[in-house]
Amino acid sequence: MNLLEIKNLHVSIGDTKILHGINLTINRGEVHAIMGPNGSGKSTLSYVLSGRDGYEVTEGEILLDGQSVLEMEADERARAGMFLAFQYPVELPGVSGMSFLRAAVNARRREAGEDEVDQLEFVKLVRAAAADLGVDNDMLKRAVNVGFSGGEKKRYEILQMALLQPSLAVLDETDSGLDVDALKIVSHGVNAQRGASCGMLVITHYQRLLSHIVPDYVHILAGGRIIKSGDKSLALEVEENGYAGLVDAA
Amino acid sequence: MVMRGWSMPHKLSQIISWPEQQAKAKDFLDQKGWPDNRQEAWKYTSLAHLREQQFLPANGFEKLASSASVEGLEGLMIEISGGIARLHDGQSLPEGISICDISTDDSARAAIFTRLADDHLLPALSALHQTSAIAIDIEKPALSASIPPIILNITGGDKDTACYPLVMVRVHKGTTARIAEIHSSQAGLACPLMVYDVADEAALHHIRLQAEADHTTHLGLNQMQMGKNSQINSFAISMGGALSRLETHSLFLGTDSALAQSAIYLGRDRQHHDITSFVAHELRDCHSRQLIRGVLDDKARGVFQGKVRVAPDAQKTDGQQMSRALLLSRDAEADAKPELEIFADDVVCSHGATVGELDENLMFYLKSRGIAEAEARNMLIDAFLIDTLEEIEDAGFAAFMAAQIAKWSAANR
Repeated sequence: MNLLEIKNLHVSIGDTKILHGINLTINRGEVHAIMGPNGSGKSTLSYVLSGRDGYEVTEGEILLDGQSVLEMEADERARAGMFLAFQYPVELPGVSGMSFLRAAVNARRREAGEDEVDQLEFVKLVRAAAADLGVDNDMLKRAVNVGFSGGEKKRYEILQMALLQPSLAVLDETDSGLDVDALKIVSHGVNAQRGASCGMLVITHYQRLLSHIVPDYVHILAGGRIIKSGDKSLALEVEENGYAGLVDAA
Repeated sequence: MVMRGWSMPHKLSQIISWPEQQAKAKDFLDQKGWPDNRQEAWKYTSLAHLREQQFLPANGFEKLASSASVEGLEGLMIEISGGIARLHDGQSLPEGISICDISTDDSARAAIFTRLADDHLLPALSALHQTSAIAIDIEKPALSASIPPIILNITGGDKDTACYPLVMVRVHKGTTARIAEIHSSQAGLACPLMVYDVADEAALHHIRLQAEADHTTHLGLNQMQMGKNSQINSFAISMGGALSRLETHSLFLGTDSALAQSAIYLGRDRQHHDITSFVAHELRDCHSRQLIRGVLDDKARGVFQGKVRVAPDAQKTDGQQMSRALLLSRDAEADAKPELEIFADDVVCSHGATVGELDENLMFYLKSRGIAEAEARNMLIDAFLIDTLEEIEDAGFAAFMAAQIAKWSAANR
């Protein structure tokens, strides 16, 4: 069964139509990249997948493991295995990082009929995952994302992904605001999650990220439609010629 | 808010006798009756619903309810119910604490009421209807370990009765006292009057929980006065009752003292919570700091009225006050009226008030991690309250108050 199937997806925000019939299928083990110019609907796609309020699906279907997610709340979709790494992770003053991570992991575990995670065990688990991503103890002690630099916020997103082990990870412009070193750390973290059980949708404006997280498929999104699909060489073509030629040809 | 009677006690020429106090109180109540929104001090909190109600005075002995509300607190427990104020069975007074029944002591009561705001509903109600009255003296013994916390466990009553307990607490020079007021009465009308006298170089750690019955109208007054070099760390939670008003009147009577006095109100259904505070800086080099937080769900209403007055002599005053309310429902409403009245020129004072809703972006972030709506809401409510809770210095008190908030949140699902 396909992991994710997006069929003829039309999405509006208020009276404005943003997506005009997206078709996309992702299988476990595959990494798909969506590239597109600003305003093409990339972030809308990530939000509508993860179930954010305010995005109206006027036509089409989104299936995760064969089940429609359209009637599911964001938290239900997450517990069903979906994960969104935010382009702009929000700060949560007063919410301790550890209790946030534990609440998220326990929500997944309860859904799977498993016991809640043992507190001491969990601290060990988080520390190990955090060390891999260069997230230090001080960051773990702080409130969620509060006082984090742009790069730290992105690493913290990938830490959450590592702990939650999603079946579908949507990375929304994870490269934005990262310098070369941070990009390497984050990409390393993402690549460590690649595998037969997880599918990924990597949304990006630039080819840069895709030389670190090498996709199996590349799709060009423009004007709310996928206008071209191909393999990783399509990303290089965009790098070479920009989006203009592709958009005009479509 | 008119607050006459705030002149310095040492300028008072004489103590007004108890019969005279009662006569004044009767005149006041006969003339003014229960206030409604037309009176400035009661603009957001009308008591018109009390005009049609008759309450029996809760004078007789009532079975003291074993109150779950004090669970988690350890200390010397004083039970106050109806006309009764007594030590919890089997407890004896430790060295350093003495308790005296002043319900028939006219001169003691006259002295207390002389220092309270006159022309004011709450002292007048207490003067006229008092159901019990005790005075507690706390004085550090010469050679002694710390004095245990005192728990004032105020319970009992039913919806047809009214209770008007008076507690006077004197923390003597150089003494550190810890007092927890736990209000869990079932009375129709609860009007507790608590008077605190914190002497020079003394310190008071104080918490106050109002967790009364759904039908209770709670009209509480806490008056606190502070000597030189004294400290008060006070924290109130208002979460019970149908309509609740807590007035705090705090008065600096010596220099170099610090008052930290914060409060949280938690409202749901059609509850009405009013925190009205008056801080009077009379002398120089004193600090006051107040954080007020409110969380309101359903059709609940919250009110904060905070006035800080800085007298001409109170140079170098530092007065900070900040109130924030969080509305969980479109039908909830919060009002705030912060006021500064400054007559000295070398002071640092600030105040502010905000009303907001749960941030949808934060909710989405939590939900996108699989955290369900109710749990996400509670996480954000806790986050909203946490810095205020951190104002509580005493660890035992802080844990107790945090547990009360958790209880409230747990019912939020």
